[in-house]
Amino acid sequence: MKFKVVLNTLGSLILFLGISMVFPLFYAIYYQEGDIVYAFVASIIITTLSGLLLQYAFTPENGIGRKEGFVIASLGWILAAGFGTLPFLFSGTFTNFIDAYFESMSGFTTTGATVLSSIEGNPLSVLFWRDQIQWMGGMGIIVLVIAILPALGVGGMQLFRSEVPGPEPDKLKPRIKETAKLLYLVYIIISVLQVVCLYISGMSLYDALTHMFGTMCTGGFTPKNLSVGHYNNPTYDLIIIIFMFIAGANFTLHYKVLHGDLKSLLKDREFLFYTGIILLSTLIIATQLRIYVYNTIFAAIRYASFQVVSITTTTGFVTADYDQWPDLSKNILLVLMFIGGCAGSTGGAIKNIRILILLKKASREFQKILHPHAITPIHVGDKKISDEVVNNITSFFMLYMIIFVIGTLIMTSLGLDMTSALSSVAATLGNVGPGLGLVGPSQNYAFIPDIGKIILCICMLLGRLEIYTVLILVVPEFWKK
Amino acid sequence: MNFKVVGNMLGKLLMYLSALMIFPLLFAFYYNEKSSVSAFIWSIIITFLVGFILHKICPFKNSIGNKESYIIATLGWVFVSGFSTLPFLFSKTIPKFLDAYFECMSGYTATGATILTEIESNSLSVLLWRNETQWIGGMGIILLVVALLPMLGVGGMRLVKSEFPGFELDKIKPRIVETAKTIWLIYIFITLGEIICLYLFGMPLFDSIINTFGTVPTGGFNHKNISIAYYDNVVFEVIIIIFMFISAVNFSLHYKFFHGDRKIYLKNQEFTFFVSIVLISTLLVALELRFSIYDSLLSALRYASFQVVSIVTTTGFVNTDYGIWPHFSQLVLVLLMFLGGCVGSTAGAIKSVRMLLLLKQLKQSFDKLLHPNAIIPIRLGGKVISDDIMQSIRSFFLLYIFVFIIGVFIITATGLDITTAIGAVAATLGGVGPGVGLVGPAENYAFISSIGKITLIICMLLGRLEIYTVLVLLVPEFWKK
Repeated sequence: MKFKVVLNTLGSLILFLGISMVFPLFYAIYYQEGDIVYAFVASIIITTLSGLLLQYAFTPENGIGRKEGFVIASLGWILAAGFGTLPFLFSGTFTNFIDAYFESMSGFTTTGATVLSSIEGNPLSVLFWRDQIQWMGGMGIIVLVIAILPALGVGGMQLFRSEVPGPEPDKLKPRIKETAKLLYLVYIIISVLQVVCLYISGMSLYDALTHMFGTMCTGGFTPKNLSVGHYNNPTYDLIIIIFMFIAGANFTLHYKVLHGDLKSLLKDREFLFYTGIILLSTLIIATQLRIYVYNTIFAAIRYASFQVVSITTTTGFVTADYDQWPDLSKNILLVLMFIGGCAGSTGGAIKNIRILILLKKASREFQKILHPHAITPIHVGDKKISDEVVNNITSFFMLYMIIFVIGTLIMTSLGLDMTSALSSVAATLGNVGPGLGLVGPSQNYAFIPDIGKIILCICMLLGRLEIYTVLILVVPEFWKK
Repeated sequence: MNFKVVGNMLGKLLMYLSALMIFPLLFAFYYNEKSSVSAFIWSIIITFLVGFILHKICPFKNSIGNKESYIIATLGWVFVSGFSTLPFLFSKTIPKFLDAYFECMSGYTATGATILTEIESNSLSVLLWRNETQWIGGMGIILLVVALLPMLGVGGMRLVKSEFPGFELDKIKPRIVETAKTIWLIYIFITLGEIICLYLFGMPLFDSIINTFGTVPTGGFNHKNISIAYYDNVVFEVIIIIFMFISAVNFSLHYKFFHGDRKIYLKNQEFTFFVSIVLISTLLVALELRFSIYDSLLSALRYASFQVVSIVTTTGFVNTDYGIWPHFSQLVLVLLMFLGGCVGSTAGAIKSVRMLLLLKQLKQSFDKLLHPNAIIPIRLGGKVISDDIMQSIRSFFLLYIFVFIIGVFIITATGLDITTAIGAVAATLGGVGPGVGLVGPAENYAFISSIGKITLIICMLLGRLEIYTVLVLLVPEFWKK
């Protein structure tokens, strides 16, 4: 293990984080929020100094290997969430470190689960920071899911090794740099586009920015108690639906589309599957809502589509209290929390491509029964999926389920009922945010005991880093030699 | 497709079935239950005649092919359950066909889910029949036929494989007929053992028979409204725990044990895994119960151990209403519903060896991340498990989860809450019986809508025949040529 290069990289990450706190500082000054200005100044000083210190204390040797990749990804999120709490604590928005850490981790992992029971009373600059960390978390995720995880071969994601735009280097670092450059451009272009759309249709710049922050990273924080439901505006709903949908699709595809290759959308099986799941779920839920809840088909489709897209993309914005919906609709949303977005997006959870391959795998067994000696490989589109990838994906699915089960067991042992417990774990592991029952869309995570909050923080981190990246650090063999 | 073979075999099955109805008929005479006597006589006549006619018009030709064996297994269970409803219908114990069919399918698949709201007031001979269906189904109706029909040859092996797809017969005897006979002998031996034990410790003979017919097939029917809790007798409970446990252990281990290999249990990894799961779960549940419900550790252990063993062996006997237990304990029970006993036993669900191998595969996936190019085989008790077997175990696990999710969807669509739906599908798919929530141990399945009952019937059949045997019939390619 080359600790120097790890610490050096983490140093630059923290430095970047410190500098980014300048934006909410501007807002604090602009809104004349007195003490909050000092809170941000203090946070900036501490964070940047820590970053600089790490950078200068450890001069990098060359090359980041596999093991360093795992350590940097995991520690990167843990430390970023740690430093992200500073403005919350200094401003007095949170008095309890665990609460602040939960909120910060929820932000950086783009989960959107909150422990704030009232959001609107807080300083706007702090709320801006709360949303901004999501957007930055999204930036981290894009590099993670498009460059790092495929290279490390986590959970079958080596499938996407060759799909990354840019050169094909054999070392991790130049690859990350190239990919980051290309995809951050895409990320920023789409982000700007959403701010413009929201601003033109009448949202204030502050609201447009914070909602964009919550959308593009599929996070789900907003500065409003009622989330997007606050505005009760179909145009905003529609714009946010569209951009959530985009954020939940593979950014490599967006890159191709921006380069004029529109057909790649239709050729991408995962994208089609993702769209199909969303349409089908919307249809079923809208039908049920039309019968049981809403009087017009328009309202039913409006709320159904928003909630389905919000949950599938693991954003977690809310326009209706879906916990009051009939059980089938709730159940569909619960299952969507497991499916999540596409690989290579900012969406979390298991991801569509894995579900698609798992479905194919289960049905392949029928072929084997009918033709015991035939060799029938799994295809996605015209691409043959190697057995190794399929096995990795099944292992990932197993592991995801086991973590889910263990998390739920712990949550029930803390006294939560089954629905609340399992949805709280599903919503944090899938980086969605709101769950069902006691952690439903009109509730929050404040009441959960500290142990529970720590467990859910771990779930968010595990879900975001596709489990293996974090858990491998616990394997003793990892640290040998 | 050779439909004549199918018809011939189904005919034989029905003829055997009619013979099996004589046993409750004797009890009906003995207890002087006039309406039941005629109900059984009519049922015997009709079942025999239909079977005889089918048998005559479809002469047995050649051997049983691969495809035919799947049809015979699936249709065998469907038909046998169908004709077994006759005594219930004729005696007016259960007036509605669907309800009666639910009860019979629940019996043959050794599930133990009931739609009877009031059990004790029914005629004893009919209740005996209800439990006898479990006993017959427990070791497999096809296996019974194979044991009785030596002329099936290779076809017999195929048939057994389609009834027990995951069942490695471990070569008890070189010929399948001998193996089937041996297994049935062990089964009868265990049955007699339990009847004698219960009777010696003071249970009336009729009760001993009925409870044994619920225990050994890991079924869970008995003739009391509150199941085993009726006796409130620790000795009975201990005996039943022991026999539930024995019945959920691979029968070939019992065979080897009786043939002098005294250490066989400890050498078997599945057995040790199963035992440790049972012990850990009992401990966890007992601890929680001690602090939340019971004043003494002893009674906490008594109820925890009984319920854990009852659920993990997929029996479903109840000695206390675990529906009022704290959420954690209930969730542990729900999870155990997925585990089930060992292969080659009468227990249902996913089965311990599959879980064990899947866990080993998870460990392997971590090793592979550390050493991407290493080839690391999965071993079980020193033997390398072939990739083919691992593939089919993975597919089975996936399919089990998919079927479970679809089942929960349908059940919530009929208007039940998510917890109840999860409980109902897990309990029927795993062959357990009572679930949680509205289908908890103090409740029953009577109130569920017809669509819900049909879904659960299908779940029971799918779970018992390990899914593929049934679902392969739905693949269009199966019927080609």
